This record gives sequence, structure tokens and C-alpha cells, in this order.
Amino acid sequence: MTNVLEHEAVPNDGLNPLGISGIEFIEFATSKPQALGGVLEKLGFRPIARHRSREVELYRQGSMNIVVNSQPADLPHTVHPAETPVLSAFALRVRDAEAAFQRVRDMGAWEIPVRARAMELNVPAIHGAGESLIYFVDRYDEFSIYDIDFHAIPSVETKPAAIGDLHFFGIVQYIGADRTADWVWFYSQLFGFMPLPDSVRFGIMPRGLLLQSPCRSFFLQLIEPEDSARFAAMDEHLQRIGFGTPDVLSTVALLEKRGIEFLTSEKVHTNDRGALTKPCLGSVMFELVHDESRIHPAPQ
Amino acid sequence: MIFRDFGMDTASMAGPLEAKLAAVRRAGFSQVMISATEIVGHPGGVEAGIRAVRASGLAVTGLEMLRDFEGLDGHLHAYKVDVAKSMLELCQELRGRLLIVEASTSSHANTDPDAIVRDLRALAILAIPKRVRIAYKGVSWSRTASDFSSAGEFVLRANCRNLGLAIDAFDILAEKIPLDDIDAIDPEQIFLVQLSDFRWQAVYSMATNAAHDTRFRVFPGEGAHSDDLSTFVNRLDTLGYDGVYSFDVYNDDYQQMPPDLVAGRARRAAEWLEETVLRRALPVPNMQGLRRSTSD
Repeated sequence: MTNVLEHEAVPNDGLNPLGISGIEFIEFATSKPQALGGVLEKLGFRPIARHRSREVELYRQGSMNIVVNSQPADLPHTVHPAETPVLSAFALRVRDAEAAFQRVRDMGAWEIPVRARAMELNVPAIHGAGESLIYFVDRYDEFSIYDIDFHAIPSVETKPAAIGDLHFFGIVQYIGADRTADWVWFYSQLFGFMPLPDSVRFGIMPRGLLLQSPCRSFFLQLIEPEDSARFAAMDEHLQRIGFGTPDVLSTVALLEKRGIEFLTSEKVHTNDRGALTKPCLGSVMFELVHDESRIHPAPQ
Repeated sequence: MIFRDFGMDTASMAGPLEAKLAAVRRAGFSQVMISATEIVGHPGGVEAGIRAVRASGLAVTGLEMLRDFEGLDGHLHAYKVDVAKSMLELCQELRGRLLIVEASTSSHANTDPDAIVRDLRALAILAIPKRVRIAYKGVSWSRTASDFSSAGEFVLRANCRNLGLAIDAFDILAEKIPLDDIDAIDPEQIFLVQLSDFRWQAVYSMATNAAHDTRFRVFPGEGAHSDDLSTFVNRLDTLGYDGVYSFDVYNDDYQQMPPDLVAGRARRAAEWLEETVLRRALPVPNMQGLRRSTSD
């Protein structure tokens, strides 16, 4: 395989036991895939491929893959109305997917039966927050899982450049009251994520605990309910994707021209550190975070 | 009066689940410990059992009882992981936040502490996505952890935030575990305290006769060990334990009495503990109820 060297370059030590190397894709589940696709296209994503046999589409820009899953069986059961898109999974790039899966399963992760997954190829997965899943993928770069499961949409650019060098920066997970320690344990024990001190902050959203991936290329942010909502009945879930961009203000301007609206309230508004989109299609939001660490070269 | 710190156990009463839950509520309790067998054995099926609990208005103190989980190898381990998963899912369906796990009494169980710690850690991680905490409980005839003190050592070694202890007062009464051992335990690690009294003065060790465990337990204040229980509860209170005291009471007599009469006895026990033992002021109104209403 062409990417062997790159896989081996990922440190194989106690700090990164699974050889994690970034996010391969993030998945939404929705019964209204066209509506979500419209939003993704405004954000600069392009539909690239369709699943061979399932109601699943692949969108891409730059280094980011987003999978839109509208298989009836895969739609969440606890979200109402059902057409509200939800973040249903993220896929970790790992050194060896099957080995990673077996390791975390032995440590106490819930395995997900194959039939419940978006992919046909054996992409192992475990339970994450709420009804969401975490996949393990070891085929990326030149030879990818999409080559097997997906048909390319004819005559589309398969590697569209990213607007404003957007890249996956992180995923925000809403959790229950007093649950931060549990989830920190979960992500650090199973995957080697590291909690960051409270003094480290990105973007404009001040709350929550940040976990850095062992490959140091993305973050998970755990957010407990505000005091006033501590006893509200809320299912834990993945709430939004954070995109990194080296220049928030110019990227916001580009996205606004494409029809994306950003929050402008006194509490939350765009500045050079970050921005938050207005919720659409129910509760779908995206966050922009100032990040110069990974400026991606345009694909050739 | 509504009791905030005390809960009943469905296993203390006979009759249909709905009748038990109604009796618990009428007696002034806001929460109840559920036995998995009550739900799975519901004549209307599991779904009906879950609906009954949710409709009762009672909070679920926890779900019991996962047994003989730790220290197994190979297919026995895999089998027990499946059992544990099933109980965690049931616990989540019931909106319970605690699963009681009794230390293994299986002769097949490995007593290697490393193996036990590894299995408890995996169980704690299994419980995280389900939002459940694991309360590990010593059992006097267990080969792995025979009382709260030895169970506490495993909990300490495993060092998971959602893994803690269920302490049974019976350890103190029957097994004569020194009360001072409690001071060695971090109150944050005590997830549940189970209380019962014993009718006779001489308490048979469970190790000698496990059958006694299920036949002669009565509510706190009803038996011959009120003073010991009182000391035990005050000690926990001083230590800083502010969790739930669940009445872990089973006996043959209560199985032949209407649930309301049994629940009435539990109510007297709660009053005795609250007013005489802990000398607490009258409790604030039902906090669980207030929490629910602010969330709606």
C-alpha cells in the first residue's frame, strides 16, 4: 500500500496507542439529505460520490470528508423531529483499524454490529456519545474506503480546494452534568487523548474542557450544561464541527457571500479568534476557529 | 413528608411491580432500587416493566444485580460482558444512573488482583456512554472482595471516576468489619449505602450460611442492632457521605404482607434515621420532583 510509510511515521507508543492520525470523515444522519447537502455546499463542500447501495453521500473540500447518511435504519431514534440532521459519527484514521478496534473493545468499548454502519466495507465501529459512533479507518490517502463503497459522481472535481484553508479542527460534544471526568477518562484511556489546561482556549466559545488528539491534529471539546439547565433532560450528543482557518475574518466574509449566516449577538459574534454560524435545519451549527497550524496545500 | 436521602428496594415487597412502586410512593419515598428481575419478569414484558417505572414518578436509585463478573477468562468473560451490557442498557432505559455489581462468588473466577482491576476498569468504561456509574459491593463469601474494605482496595486501584463502592451495613453487623475501616475510604467513592437490620442478636455470618442473608433482614430500627446501625450511619455522615441510603431488606415475612404495610415499615425506618439517628431538620420538599419540574 502506498501509505505504509506514513502509517509507520505515526508514533507507536503509549501516548498514541492506536496510531491515530486525524479524522478521516465526519458523518451526519438525516432524513432530508438534500437540505443538509445545500448547507454543506454553501460551506464549500462538494458532493463527490454516492454509495453503491445505500442512501449515503460523500462531500469533500480540502482535507475534509463529510458523509451524509440517510439510510432509514441509521437515523437516530431519540432526535425529534427525525429530519433534524445530527452528527452521527466520526472516523479516526488509525494505524490498523482491526487492531485498534479489538484493543478498545477489550478495554470496554461497545462494538457496533456491521449492519448498522454506513459503510459496507468492514469499517469497525464503537459506541460514542449518545447514539453516535466512532469508526476506525486505516485506508486513506491514495487508496481509500470510498474507492470500494462509493461511485464517483461523474465529471466532478474529486479534490476541491478548501475555502479559506478550512480543515477539521474539532468536534464539540454536549455532555450531562458532572460528566466531564467520565468522558475524559473514556477518551484518554481508549484513545490517548490529553485534557488541556483551562488556560488553553481556541475560538470564541469559552466553556468546556478541551481534549487534544494524541496525533495533536484535532480536538474534542466537552461541554456540560449551564447551571440553569443542569437538570434538564438532555441526551448527550455530538453538537457541532469546528473548522480551523488561518484567517477567520476573511473566511467568514467568503462564507457570508455564499449564504452562510453567522451569529452576531452581544455574547457570541465573529472576531479574529472565531465565529459561530446561526443554527439551521433545526440545530445544525458550525464553528470557525483561528488556527494557523495546518495550512493545507491545494491538491494538485 | 418526602424522603430525599432514603430509598426502598422493590425486592423488599411482594406483588406486581406497579403495586410495589405505588406503595413506595405512597409511603413518601422519592426513589427506588430496581431489581432487573422485576423488569425482565414483568408479565407484560420488558417494555411494560420499563414503562411502569417511568410512569411511577420515582427516581431509580440503581439497578441490581450484576454478579460474578470479574476474574473470568475466555468465553466465560465474553459471556459476562454480554450480561453486563444487557444490564447497562436496561439501566439506561430505566433512567437509572447506578448499576450494583457484587464481587464474584464464582469458583471459576481468577483472584489475581490485576485481572480483577482490568475487568472492573473495562466495566466502568462500558458504563460511560450509558451514563451509568458502577457500584462495586463486597460479598462475604466472595473470593475476590469479601467486604467493603477489600472492595474499596480494588476500586482505589482501578481509579475510574465512575467506579465506586456500594457499602452494605451488613458487613458491619454480621462480619464485624471494624468501623474504623470506613475512614480509609474517600466519601466520593461511596456511590451507595445499603442499610438493613437483623432480627436476632446473633448475626450468622453469610460465609457460614448464605441463606440467612435473604431471610432475616428487617428495616433499620426494627431489629436488634439499632445502636450499631446508628453508629454506622453517623460515621458515614461525619465522613461526608451525602448519597442515598437504600434499604436492602428481604425476608420471608414481608413477602407475605401487602406492599403498603411493608412500605409503611420502611417509612418508619426512614423517619427513625432522619429524626433520631441523623437528627436532621424536616427535609426540604421532594428535590427530585423539583428537578424534574424545572426541566420540563
